[in-house]
Amino acid sequence: MSPFGANRILWRVLALAAVPLLVVFLPKAFNDYFNYRLAFVGIYFIAIVGLNVLTGYNGQISLGHGAFMAIGAYTTAILNVNYGVGIYWTIPVAGILTGAFGFLFGLPALRLSGVYLALATFSLATSIPLVAKRFEGFTGGGQGKTIALPSSPIGGLSTNEWLSYLTWAIAGLMFGVAWLVLRGQLGRAFRAVRDAPIAAVSSGVSLARYKTLAFGIAAAYAGVAGALLAIAIAFVNPDTFPVSLSILLLTGAVVGGLGSLEGMLFGAVFIQFAPSWAEHLSEHLHYNEATVQSTVFYGLILLAVLFLMPGGAAGLIHQLGNGLKRLRKWRYSRADSRATA
Amino acid sequence: MRRLVVALGVVAIGAAVALPGAMGGSTATPGVTAKIVSIGGTFPFSGPASSYAPIPVGMQAYFSYVNAKKTNGKRGVFGRQIKFNAVDDGYNPALTVQKTKQLVEQDHVFALVGGLGTEPQEAVTAYANQQKVPQIYVSTGATEWGARDKHEEHPWTVGWQPDYQAEAAIYGRYIAKNLPNAKIGIIYQNDSYGRDYINGLEAGLGSHKSQIASQQGFEVTDTSVTNQVIALRRAGVDTLMIFGTPTPTIRTYATMAAVGWKPQNIFLNSVSATDTFMGIAVARAGAAEVNGSISTYYTKDPANPSWANDAGMKLYKSIMAKYAPANAKVTDGLYIYGMAKAYTFVQALKAAGPNPTRAGLMKAVLNMNDKSNPFLLPGVVTKTGKTDFFPISQQQLIRFNNGTWSPMGQLTDTRPRG
Amino acid sequence: MSEFFQYVVVGLANGGVYATLALALVLIHRATGIVNFAQGEMGMFCTFIAWSLITHHGLPYWPAFFLTLLIAFAGGAATYKVVIQPLSRTGELTVVMATIALLIILNGLAGWIWSPEVKFLRSPSPFAPGDHFEVGGVIVNKQDLTVIVISLICVALVFLFFRFTRLGLQMRASAVGPATSRLLGIRVAMMLSIGWGLAAVLSAVSGMLAASQLELDPNFMLIVLTYAFAAAVLGGIDSPIGSVVGAFIIGIGISLLSGYASSFLGTELQLPLALAVLMLVLIVRPAGLFGQVVVRRV
Repeated sequence: MSPFGANRILWRVLALAAVPLLVVFLPKAFNDYFNYRLAFVGIYFIAIVGLNVLTGYNGQISLGHGAFMAIGAYTTAILNVNYGVGIYWTIPVAGILTGAFGFLFGLPALRLSGVYLALATFSLATSIPLVAKRFEGFTGGGQGKTIALPSSPIGGLSTNEWLSYLTWAIAGLMFGVAWLVLRGQLGRAFRAVRDAPIAAVSSGVSLARYKTLAFGIAAAYAGVAGALLAIAIAFVNPDTFPVSLSILLLTGAVVGGLGSLEGMLFGAVFIQFAPSWAEHLSEHLHYNEATVQSTVFYGLILLAVLFLMPGGAAGLIHQLGNGLKRLRKWRYSRADSRATA
Repeated sequence: MRRLVVALGVVAIGAAVALPGAMGGSTATPGVTAKIVSIGGTFPFSGPASSYAPIPVGMQAYFSYVNAKKTNGKRGVFGRQIKFNAVDDGYNPALTVQKTKQLVEQDHVFALVGGLGTEPQEAVTAYANQQKVPQIYVSTGATEWGARDKHEEHPWTVGWQPDYQAEAAIYGRYIAKNLPNAKIGIIYQNDSYGRDYINGLEAGLGSHKSQIASQQGFEVTDTSVTNQVIALRRAGVDTLMIFGTPTPTIRTYATMAAVGWKPQNIFLNSVSATDTFMGIAVARAGAAEVNGSISTYYTKDPANPSWANDAGMKLYKSIMAKYAPANAKVTDGLYIYGMAKAYTFVQALKAAGPNPTRAGLMKAVLNMNDKSNPFLLPGVVTKTGKTDFFPISQQQLIRFNNGTWSPMGQLTDTRPRG
Repeated sequence: MSEFFQYVVVGLANGGVYATLALALVLIHRATGIVNFAQGEMGMFCTFIAWSLITHHGLPYWPAFFLTLLIAFAGGAATYKVVIQPLSRTGELTVVMATIALLIILNGLAGWIWSPEVKFLRSPSPFAPGDHFEVGGVIVNKQDLTVIVISLICVALVFLFFRFTRLGLQMRASAVGPATSRLLGIRVAMMLSIGWGLAAVLSAVSGMLAASQLELDPNFMLIVLTYAFAAAVLGGIDSPIGSVVGAFIIGIGISLLSGYASSFLGTELQLPLALAVLMLVLIVRPAGLFGQVVVRRV
């Protein structure tokens, strides 16, 4: 049997098992700082898996995902600093609170789609940091809130390793939940709302319910990612969540491939590492003004990726898969024709 | 098929690992080898504050000069080349933390020098102190960098320039003494920067504080300050304080000209008082509007022709010509600011001796008494002591006229007593 | 009352700068169906070119102005040919992402070529900065007035072009029904790249006007883009008139907010409040003030 046939499930299980193995062993294989970057890959991964639920599966664009991360991060910072809640306990609270906020935001957003929704979410990304700046007594204002530096509660693990394991454990859990949700009835309803809204309504799917639900889920994911970000950098202020963060997240989702959860792995790696690839590239070409140039190279890399894989990493894989299938069919058909000849 | 997705992810991670490459080894003192002293800092090369990017360029130019110059037959400092790793954080604290950790943990820098921005640097202060890495000469004048209680909390962190509150207090005292009947108006950037200035001004004004007739704030993201200017004008203000970063300051001048208002006295914060910015303000608002403005400085002003024959200024210009990128504008005060700061660091590194340690560097930084900085005004001493954590605290009041600043009176020392 | 009108006048001056860029966004959206996030940076880059022509090549202002518009047209059309058209068969978001990549590239390139220090570009106005007149206690600055006039002239020219020229008609046809237009012998791809060229010209005008009110550095158009985007959407993303009206509404609205509300709300909440009001408007009119609700078929 071919790997594309009945063994497919087995392959998928093996592949999915490889990720946790990687997560466990990769940190030990590289220098310690690399683990810190892995933790950020995990944070972005969680955020863009959520964004993918909204934009990829439910067809609602968001230029404001960073605002949801901000709410999660501020939840963690405020609960921990103002109220002394244990830092790790704030993570689920951040998820739930941000999810509720996202759900509520989804209600007015129901009326909007396309560019109009883009502006609504963009406005959110612009406004949340300013609102955080305004209510200084509560949020720390422009100066923000400093959280105690993270440290590993497990002996033998460095802080960075701990952050990486923590983030990826949560990322794995949230990926699993998203996967289960999206392959079930809810996922079908989401896709129906995206692909054929009127048909969905006429067959009894409530647009309002599923669109707001998608917003809620996406926001909850971003909230958890924001909480983890706050823990990892031990600081939040309005500058931490610029509009460019929201755009970065959307970049990750598009580059990974909208509508594919696994593709988000590539998306997260891309947004964490592409800026440093750009820096290395520009250093190799021209040392003196390397830092000024590197954003140019980052833009070029992004453009190149879009050209090479317009459907994102997942789209590329899909195409490769189709190509293989066609190749195999062609070979079989040749073999068949020879046999009959 | 999906395994391919995973495989791709693995490849990507692999590539990510391979590209950065590992560097630096652990020696007794991180970042110090027989040939190299490696230092670093985060700066906004991109993002909203990128107009400050000349600062690290000025620093780098001076380090290149020191690296090429022979002292006692050896190039650099005690034969070591200074490798300055200025990285971009886009003024985003999330990136400041990541890049600072990268400098400390991956590049193994000896010290963090000159990092820019109050909030971004605050975000890494706890970390630098936990790691016992010197976080010195940060490029921000927030008062907290030299405050005594803060220093006790964060002994590895030190500022460099005169703090904003002290500067504003100079204006306050000047007004109280010379303009006792002034009707004061303030236009300020609504953040910790602007508020530091207001606090300092109020302290300096003392009992004259009640003469503040109007305070108008703006956000850095605002595209217009017209309403604020009109409100100040309506309040009958005759003495205007401009407490904002360069672009809104220029805009304030332009707007004042646009509505035909010229208060008798204008004070503006020193950050915005460099030649480049004043030149644009003159172009936008006309010389009549800008003439007479009062500010302070403590570095020599490369735009002022009266320094043309000064040895320090000649040195600055020759270094810029040789080591700075061709499109750098030499008369911009941010380059000499960076260079003066780099000079202070080199002095501290020399004082830390031929076998520098991080603790040794801090000791040198905190026991400094240097009168030799050729890029600072004559008489400005870079001095720290047991209770004094402000390396520079002397400033000169200056008045702008026909394209240049000229000094008013003597250097003012705002060094805390005791 | 004079206070109110003063705020309105200030808002009009700001709105004039947003209007041309908002119109550029609308042109692109009509032609290509996407929001071009690089629109502001295209204007920024062109403004730097104008600055360089004046400062380094000694051109007087107006020749530099028009030469820049020519360069902008070529650049915009080339951008369509090189970047957008090849991606046009992919998803909408991929194209949007490509414009974001362009934004990043142009922003970085400007800092690299011209160094990130703030620069000065003079106002196109023949009046001195302080020239103004007062009507009933309301100050009207002549430079600001020039900005509004130039902006309105551009808008009018674009309007006349689309309404009364054959090329304009062909371009409108290509945007509305590319397949039918192709059958009628219209070179649709050519029309679209002309559309991109025109949009680039408008953003260059916007940039040069904005640079005389704001400051010329690589980031100065980002905030203008935010307002122009809001204006274009408020007006209805496919309505040219709507975008211009939207731009002035936004300019005036923000000015009134900063005049009346910032004292008790705090300056921080101006923008969030303006955007919240905008959202309310959109909830009532989900296709903007001048937009038409498209009835979707299953």
